[in-house]
Amino acid sequence: MIHLRHVSHNFGSHWALKNFSLDLDKGGFLFLVGPSGAGKTTLLRILHGAIALQRGQAVVCGFDLQTIKPKAIPLLRREVSVVFQDFKILPQRTVFANVALALEVRNMPRPLLQRRVRAVLRGLDLESKAHVSCAELSGGEQQRVAVARAVVVGPQLLLADEPTGNLDRELAMRLMSLFLQFHAHGSTVILATHNQELLSCLPEAKIVHIEDGSIVWANWSLTE
Amino acid sequence: MLRILIKLIVQGVTDIRHHPWVQVLTLAAVTLVAFLAGLFLLVLHNLDQELKRSQGEIQFQVYWKPGAEMVSVQEQWRDLERLDGLKNLKTFTPEQGLEVLTASLGSGDEFAWLRGQSPLPATALMTFAVTGEDHHAWAKAIYLDLERMPEVEKVSFNPLQLDLARSWGHFSNRVIWPLILFLGLVLALVVGNTIKLAQVHRHQEVEILRLVGAARWYIQLPMLVTGAFLGLLGGTLALLMLKGVQLSLKDLLHFPPLWLRLDFLPVDQALIFLAIISGMGVVSSWVALREK
Repeated sequence: MIHLRHVSHNFGSHWALKNFSLDLDKGGFLFLVGPSGAGKTTLLRILHGAIALQRGQAVVCGFDLQTIKPKAIPLLRREVSVVFQDFKILPQRTVFANVALALEVRNMPRPLLQRRVRAVLRGLDLESKAHVSCAELSGGEQQRVAVARAVVVGPQLLLADEPTGNLDRELAMRLMSLFLQFHAHGSTVILATHNQELLSCLPEAKIVHIEDGSIVWANWSLTE
Repeated sequence: MLRILIKLIVQGVTDIRHHPWVQVLTLAAVTLVAFLAGLFLLVLHNLDQELKRSQGEIQFQVYWKPGAEMVSVQEQWRDLERLDGLKNLKTFTPEQGLEVLTASLGSGDEFAWLRGQSPLPATALMTFAVTGEDHHAWAKAIYLDLERMPEVEKVSFNPLQLDLARSWGHFSNRVIWPLILFLGLVLALVVGNTIKLAQVHRHQEVEILRLVGAARWYIQLPMLVTGAFLGLLGGTLALLMLKGVQLSLKDLLHFPPLWLRLDFLPVDQALIFLAIISGMGVVSSWVALREK
């Protein structure tokens, strides 16, 4: 699913990632932990093609990021969904419209799209809010909308960048249970966080601790 | 594929509802700028038309003696119609002269007591196309012919008119068209920047669409359509406002001796005007997307 070898990335004179290597199989669950500025977000941005790979090799869901053409990046992003700390939803649109957006770009027929969106909203306890503007939702509800949009397409890989950063403990644990449900259906999840409490939710998950762009500790053999 | 294209084009128009205030303010700004530019263009167009009309033309005004026999004067008017180079002849009996004077002064029935005994002379306003090489000699010959007619008291014409007509022609070619091009450029830049700012407002939407795997054309097409639609709508509203202004001012200068009538822009110029504004909507939306 993910194959990284000697990946490095710099912003000017600052090295955000240094010689980063790891393999992650389909269906795996990986926690990326470390302090702010450690390089977690840079790694996630490389994985979904938001920033170009500078050095090293990276293959994600079958896409070679070294040779990927700009036209193929949307295809990569159809396999890799992302959930951000700041939600990245359109506040003036309804919950339904925000979630449906991910399926509309895939030109899914309307009846099928409606069924899929409703099913996901039901699963995330958002069905009653389907036609409410996102601006009227609480932070926790907005985060669930972001998760709904990410999972409604059934991605091979789900990336989450500090998804609980803006939530209180209770909401954070509820959100974590959503990721676990998604993982239980066989999807691969990478979750970047500095909330140590989340790690205890899935003891068998793989953990990588990053500092200053380098891996300082991992609970498994990183490469196969 | 066609279905998707149609859907995205329709979406480009309906997307306006997502940021109604931004779009309404943008539309207002585009309309007002286009209206101002259109007003300027309208004045230039009419000035240009007038200059073209007056280029190579000269006007003589003939005044008969007060109390001159009208039957004889009207016979002379018929003779005048046969003169070489005459493009237009407007004649006024003393009564018609009084009516025109009353109308131009807007004095209602103030001169009613003069009806039937107008003290004004019979007059004729004649417009000639200048012919021959020596314009001044030709004008002088006409002047003398008119002055010699029976019961004519005075003939007026401005010899400078000949030189002015020619100079205005040069002015029209050297100033008015460059001015129109400059105006088009200003209009394009202001409209373009206004629409671009409105489109930048949608950066979050673009970012999210990219995030969920939308192809470049899928993101760009509706935004380009929005830009074109705003330009087209703003340009159309501006043209409607211009038409209103033109209709209300049409006859404002249509009185002697000016006889100027304000015409609306010709269809080809109006279409070019709309095309420039819509085109700038598309270009500026594209620039806004590239900057994100």
